[in-house]
Amino acid sequence: MTKKRTGVFVCHCGNNIAATVDVARVVKEMSAEETVVYSQDYVYMCSDPGQNAVIQAIKDNQLDSVVVSCCSPSLHEKTFRDNTTRAGISGFTCEIANIREQCAWVHKDRDVGTEKAIKISRSAVRRAGRNQSLEPIAVPVTRRVMVIGGGIAGIQASLDMANAGLEVILVERQATLGGHMLQLSETFPTLDCSQCILSPKMVEVSRHPKIKVMTYCEVQEVSGSVGNFKAKILKKPTFVDPEKCNICDDCTQVCPVVVPNEYELGLTARRAIYIPYAQAIPASYTLDEEACLGLNPIRCGKCKDACEADAINYDMRPETVVEEVGAIVVATGFDLYPQENIAEYGYGKVEDVLDGLQFERLCSASGATSGHVLRPSDHKVPKDVVFIQCVGSRDPAQHCAYCSKICCMYTAKHATLYKHHVPDGRAYVFYIDIRSGGKGYEEFVQRTMEEDGAIYLRGRVSKLYRHNGKVKVLGTDTLTGQNVEIDADMVVLALAMQPSKGTAQAAKVLKIGRDKDGFLAEAHPKLRPVESVTAGIFLAGAAQGPKDIPETVAQAGAAAAKVIALLSQATLSHAPTVARVRRSHCTGCEMCVTACPYHAIRLENGKAVVNEVLCEGCGSCTATCLRAAIEVKNATQMQVFEMIEACLA
Amino acid sequence: MIDVQSIRDAARDLLTRGEVRAVIGYRRGSRGMLAEPVTITDPEQADELVWDATCFHNLALYLVEDRKALAHAQRTPTLPIAIIAKGCDARAIVVLMQEHYFKRDEVYIIGVSCEGGGVLVEYKLARLLNGAQALSAVFDGDELVVTTAAGEVRLPASEVMADRCLECREPFPKEHNVAFGEDKTGRQLAAPFTALGRFEALSAVDRWAFWRRQFERCIRCFACRSVCPMCYCDECVVDSITFPVAPDTTAEEKANRIRWIERSAVRSENITYHMTRAMHLAGRCIDCGECERVCPVNIPLRLLNNKMELEARERFGYEPGASIGGPSLVASFRDDDPGQFIR
Repeated sequence: MTKKRTGVFVCHCGNNIAATVDVARVVKEMSAEETVVYSQDYVYMCSDPGQNAVIQAIKDNQLDSVVVSCCSPSLHEKTFRDNTTRAGISGFTCEIANIREQCAWVHKDRDVGTEKAIKISRSAVRRAGRNQSLEPIAVPVTRRVMVIGGGIAGIQASLDMANAGLEVILVERQATLGGHMLQLSETFPTLDCSQCILSPKMVEVSRHPKIKVMTYCEVQEVSGSVGNFKAKILKKPTFVDPEKCNICDDCTQVCPVVVPNEYELGLTARRAIYIPYAQAIPASYTLDEEACLGLNPIRCGKCKDACEADAINYDMRPETVVEEVGAIVVATGFDLYPQENIAEYGYGKVEDVLDGLQFERLCSASGATSGHVLRPSDHKVPKDVVFIQCVGSRDPAQHCAYCSKICCMYTAKHATLYKHHVPDGRAYVFYIDIRSGGKGYEEFVQRTMEEDGAIYLRGRVSKLYRHNGKVKVLGTDTLTGQNVEIDADMVVLALAMQPSKGTAQAAKVLKIGRDKDGFLAEAHPKLRPVESVTAGIFLAGAAQGPKDIPETVAQAGAAAAKVIALLSQATLSHAPTVARVRRSHCTGCEMCVTACPYHAIRLENGKAVVNEVLCEGCGSCTATCLRAAIEVKNATQMQVFEMIEACLA
Repeated sequence: MIDVQSIRDAARDLLTRGEVRAVIGYRRGSRGMLAEPVTITDPEQADELVWDATCFHNLALYLVEDRKALAHAQRTPTLPIAIIAKGCDARAIVVLMQEHYFKRDEVYIIGVSCEGGGVLVEYKLARLLNGAQALSAVFDGDELVVTTAAGEVRLPASEVMADRCLECREPFPKEHNVAFGEDKTGRQLAAPFTALGRFEALSAVDRWAFWRRQFERCIRCFACRSVCPMCYCDECVVDSITFPVAPDTTAEEKANRIRWIERSAVRSENITYHMTRAMHLAGRCIDCGECERVCPVNIPLRLLNNKMELEARERFGYEPGASIGGPSLVASFRDDDPGQFIR
């Protein structure tokens, strides 16, 4: 190997670096390095003149490798590697020495900062001295997308991507599309009917030639990587052929089994064979295997006999299909925090204490009470209704530490809706404070208080229990300092939003991270809010964090735009800094195989083999290998060794 | 108490019937009452086999040696090799299989339960015998039966047993083809991690001072590495690590191999060696205690390995050598692993 010709470029970053690091001294010290033939400093290396100076220096001095001492590689490694490529040499010969975040910003003393900047730069020079001129690996792209979750987020993302010409597979675990938005009565702050604005989108999805809707399906396994994922999808049997079913409802008339209706949150019952709601997509019945007496004409078979269209087939079995896609959007949504966890409000066992979604169903024209607000215990019109905000939210000691963001608004909406239904009733709202940031939100809350006359009480409810056919609510109004006691006909709890069960499962299947609360983790909280840490997997909706419908729709659109941009390329370029196996040292112990988070390593004839397209160069394999038989290109043992040596010198 | 004749018969039968190509076991050594490892291939040799309180060696090591010899000779045997295995030896064999060093059907495990005993420690025995010369030592229940020139002496087993045996949680080889002796899993002679517990009670400053003293003594004879069945790498990090040799690699670079650890036996390098070894044994060491037994300068190496074992158990619920198909500690990823840095 001929000796490297390295150029070192030290950035001032205005005063960010130059204030703590004597940049000129770093340049001087680096020029003394054996492989360094050129070095300079500049006030903003990442600016156009800065980058052009690098290109000029590469050409004038026949440099074959570059070190830029500047900010974190997470910010500008790509910038400088692309720039190096523009100068005609491999971008992977360029190394970043982080002398800002890891040096200038954490030191006050200029001498200490300068010494450290020299060591960091020197270690990068040594590493660059052994870098190979690698070329990016070209990966073909599958121009299809899988969307997990058929709520408003998944629907919106699917439509946006399909309209851009991508083929979309929309997977939903329930029997119908729509998610929680379908259960809502009206939406804040405009009070549009939720189903009226959602149903057209559901129909559009189901009729879109580019979208394949897979309801009653679950994603079981995903392998591969960006551009080329393989998803194993389980199609649960519905036992009803949607092509033949004409929704005549004869089957439910004869079905002898009665179970709580999930779509109505248990406020009504359904049969073992059911359609979630009249406008369900797909428009077909589903036979609930667990509730059914046995899928056997000898045991029951009433629905099959009743079905004139012969749509019912007890022999349907679960089926697994494999779909190849280039990108994935996760829109698995939220669940309400379980009422059973709230001890002070009776663990969900007190009659006429509802959660927010149940109240939505009571208000909804398509609900059990046909849009009349009646309390569940005796079907009377409730005259005193207490709404409690922040139930389960903002309670780090017992429940969720975070604010669920939408409860202030939906409670105001509930109070308004209630007053519209029962003008002579009284609505009490217990709140900690009102968070109504958003277009038209604050005005809406003010209207609820002033025009609709909801009584807002600042304080918390300490306890509630059944008393004389009512719900006794004990609370405090902290503004007057008075204890409050209300004999309520009905209580509505604004329960916290938590990631849905499906979100946990999707995170596991996709191997993407979750935050401490279980929501899907974004790659960067500010700059990459709709991307997961894994390339090619995008996030939309409440699975990523509590959010309302407008935000969910906006995020779904953003995720769609990211996917469209990604899949607009014919091939993806994959970093060539991948793992390489030293076959002579490999004992085939398989530790790297199980350690690899990307499933990029397999055993062939007793030796590890790396799939370079799948490998992300993370180095997990290197760390687990006891025999140093596997290492990442341009981050070899030799390079690490020399970097350490440079730091210790 | 196990009748040694039953072990001999089993070994003889296996060889006579041609079911195995050799049996790795123990025979009476040339040094007094002590046993030594032996590999027999002739049924006639079966009567040489012994089983007593001096069968210290973890014979799994010889499975590794066998495998290396075969690889060197480029031979693939058609018959399995049999091995006499105590509880700890069997766990070592499981780890080796977990790491695909050999397959289950390539080894025939003659499991031998330690029952209420294990192996003795020579100095503990010598102290109790007051200078008398032991001719043989066999555990019988919770006693050690020692024969001396003056006759038979019975000593409490717990007073002569090795620490590793006192703390042993699994004296019965769970993985076996045939097993002799009673399964006394769950016998409690001393709480697990007793020695470690005593050590951990010290302050960090005292612990560091302790190890500095210990590693000052290390002569880097590498007996600990040589005796360990888990140290099967052909090239150890201590020796040197090569780097991938490409067509453009110069002679100077080839010569300039990385040396993470200098070979001279100075304290800093000794510490690095032993720490590295402990890390490489994390989730793999099954606490046979052989490293500690063979150390000529009495460094309590079990403390290091026990510490790793305890951490693995407490933080990840991991037991080394529990099952052949199970995941390895360092190479498995779980969603609920502690540590926020794993995302």
